[in-house]
Amino acid sequence: MKVLLMGHPNVGKRVFFNRLTGANVTESNYPGTTVDFTKGYMKIGGEDAELIDVPGTFSLDPKDKAEEVAVAMLHENKDAKVICVIDASKIERGVYLALEILEEGYPMVIALNMWDAAVDKNIRIDINNLQRILDVPVVPTVAISGEGIKELISRLKEAKPVEIDDIIRNAGGLT
Amino acid sequence: MKLTIDQRWDLIDKIAKQTVTFGEYRHTLKDAIGELTVKPFTGIPIAIAVMYAFWSIFGSFAGFFTDGFFVRLFDAYWLPWLQEVFPGQGGWLYAIMVDAGGIEGGEFVLSDNCLESFGVLTSGIFVAIGVVLPAIVIFYLMLALLEDIGYMPRLAVLIDTMLHKIGLHGYAIVPTILSLGCNVPGVTATRILETKKQRFIMMTLLAIFIPCGAQIGIMQDVIPGLMGWILLYLIIGYFIFGYILNKIVPGKAPEFLIDVPPYRRPMLSNIGKKVWGRITGFFKVAIPFVLLGAAIVGVLYQIGVIRFLGDALAPVFVGWFGVPKETAGPLIAAFLRKDLAVAQLSVIEMTEYQMITAVVLVSIYFPCVATFAMMLKEGWKELLGAMAVLVVVVFAYGGLIHLIGILLGVA
Repeated sequence: MKVLLMGHPNVGKRVFFNRLTGANVTESNYPGTTVDFTKGYMKIGGEDAELIDVPGTFSLDPKDKAEEVAVAMLHENKDAKVICVIDASKIERGVYLALEILEEGYPMVIALNMWDAAVDKNIRIDINNLQRILDVPVVPTVAISGEGIKELISRLKEAKPVEIDDIIRNAGGLT
Repeated sequence: MKLTIDQRWDLIDKIAKQTVTFGEYRHTLKDAIGELTVKPFTGIPIAIAVMYAFWSIFGSFAGFFTDGFFVRLFDAYWLPWLQEVFPGQGGWLYAIMVDAGGIEGGEFVLSDNCLESFGVLTSGIFVAIGVVLPAIVIFYLMLALLEDIGYMPRLAVLIDTMLHKIGLHGYAIVPTILSLGCNVPGVTATRILETKKQRFIMMTLLAIFIPCGAQIGIMQDVIPGLMGWILLYLIIGYFIFGYILNKIVPGKAPEFLIDVPPYRRPMLSNIGKKVWGRITGFFKVAIPFVLLGAAIVGVLYQIGVIRFLGDALAPVFVGWFGVPKETAGPLIAAFLRKDLAVAQLSVIEMTEYQMITAVVLVSIYFPCVATFAMMLKEGWKELLGAMAVLVVVVFAYGGLIHLIGILLGVA
């Protein structure tokens, strides 16, 4: 199984990657640390899985070379599952990228990372409702301390392709 | 099915309305500090203070270990011991590995310090371990701190306007600062810039004008008094040639958008990991190259190639750049390791101004072999372009510095 870690720059993909694979890639508090992909390996339910840390990208419409690498990685791995890492305090634009990836038919789980920061900012997210609408597993996480990571991985098996029409219906239709 | 951009945002709006509620937001101390460091009125003085602190800690830490410990260790114990036990004193192998010595009053004498001896096992190891290692340890430690706290994006915001003049934008500060450690990760980091034009300008400028940590470390040790001038020439060059490149390189230099992340408490484990990773990288790449560089230059001296090159290129060196022809040797070594080249320059007899010119030339004349390989990986066309710019810059800027020296009456 192949798993791609995707999300905006500086949402903590590397921290996830290091936690999951025990790798030693460096993390920085600024966008753009990963400009090339890194591969690592982990066990999911006894099965070997390859985890790929993809450079941060805002959308699937690349604007710099690091983003080009990200989009190419996605398209080269048609059979992969995606962990979409979203900054819980900036959920709208994170969901934008998630929708784009879902539209291309990739199975996905969403990590609402930096959950603690969102709580500090008094932002409340109805996880159950979000799961219901998007029809993908959504897990609040704090990658730096490791909260939620186990749940995230255990729910990877629930990930399946989603029809955008269903999401639109679940959300109550477009205007 | 694919949505249009408008449909997607419409959908997100719907989803967000049903799932997200925003409570009242309190302005925290973190926010206040964050604002102080990006608003120009307070941010620029803070940036200068941060840079100054960086610089003084770097200088005193590196100085403490190099002068206080390694210089004594190497000059008082290591060098005399090797001079004693290595067989074949005066022979070519001895000259290359331990000490080329010198002739004083018609007699062969041994060197009394590790910079003059020029041997692979003496100068080579001393430069790598005694001088450069302490410098890069402290450099990367402080860089990791700044990175993990989240200061870099704020610096990017502050310097944005200035970098726009040379076709870049604030975020170019990241490859630039990384290059101050080593140009290799600097070249890779240019990928965060949006257009080909920007990446080309950035790569060329950093390969030419940004001295790496190893080079800064050795300058700090052997010519501390001249460093200010050398760095000034390099910074001025960075902006002059950046300005020119921006005018002549076709392409766009778009505005940049950046998320300034919140300040975070750095995690000790991550900092340790980063610094450790970079130091082991240094041992793997730098030390073989330093030793190889010392050996090659040693061999070339022994068989007379350097004297020949020095004589052949004397008109260029002496006439155009105003430096002694003996600088030919260090310039060859510079392709392998610039720190080694600076160490070799430091023992050649010349005036202060010639020393400044020579060290600036070593910096700008050719990227080291590791950077060269990395640039090739980013694209051979870019590399060729950068080399073409480089040749022009070396002659134009080297000549200009000589001219300034003549006008000031010091060259």
